[in-house]
Amino acid sequence: MKVTLISIPVRDQEKALKFYTEKLGFLIKKDAPLEGGNRWITLVSPEWQDGPELLLEPAPNHFEPCKVFQDALMEAGFPYTQFDVDSVEEEYERLTKLDVDFSVKPTEMGTVKFAVFNDTCGNNIQIVETL
Amino acid sequence: MTFYEKKVNQVKNSCYSNDKQIQTVIETRHFIDTNFDQDLNLDFLSHIKFTSKYHLQRLFKRYYGLTPRQYLIDKRIEKSKENLKNGMTVTETCFAVGFESLGSFSKLFKTKTGKSPSKFQKEQVSRSNLHTDF
Repeated sequence: MKVTLISIPVRDQEKALKFYTEKLGFLIKKDAPLEGGNRWITLVSPEWQDGPELLLEPAPNHFEPCKVFQDALMEAGFPYTQFDVDSVEEEYERLTKLDVDFSVKPTEMGTVKFAVFNDTCGNNIQIVETL
Repeated sequence: MTFYEKKVNQVKNSCYSNDKQIQTVIETRHFIDTNFDQDLNLDFLSHIKFTSKYHLQRLFKRYYGLTPRQYLIDKRIEKSKENLKNGMTVTETCFAVGFESLGSFSKLFKTKTGKSPSKFQKEQVSRSNLHTDF
């Protein structure tokens, strides 16, 4: 078995696609139509295009428990997932200029530095730099 | 303060309160990052950090989740992928990232990436050709 895909629940796939590509900088790997207007959209990191794919999954719109879980995480400030970056400070500066809203500013904890932002699609996302 | 921030602070206080230990492992990691192509071993790393090798190994594992040796191997494999993508030969890559035997490098590379170095390089080349062709 291989880990090739992680999924993230989003309320609006088109909005998520714009945020994750235009602001975060991910690239579209796959975009295929599914039933009911849903799409199979996966993204990859520009610097690791054969790495794991990020699936933008519209689960909260079709499965209530997913929505409840996502809302609870958001309210508590918990990140749904995290991405590695070379410099949390630089990403924080870059994304802040793009009006991305951070709930946790760059913070050091032991051997990592991290920050948390709102992806505008129902999730908190954490960026992490290993020190 | 969110519930998450409170939890993070709890973890910070209970697991990451020893600044001296943290500084030691961070400096060790940075040393590996800049000297991965050298003949590094635990004796040497512990000597430059004025600590016992078993203590350093325990600390590194505790804060990074893997031993200095495992970290060094991962670093060398990551760098060898870069070199192969940039057109360096398998043999040149092997020695450029600090391995001393072509056989052990190839075996380790395959274990870590699922492909031999030469297959990995061929795939990278054909991928870049694909981009040019289409």
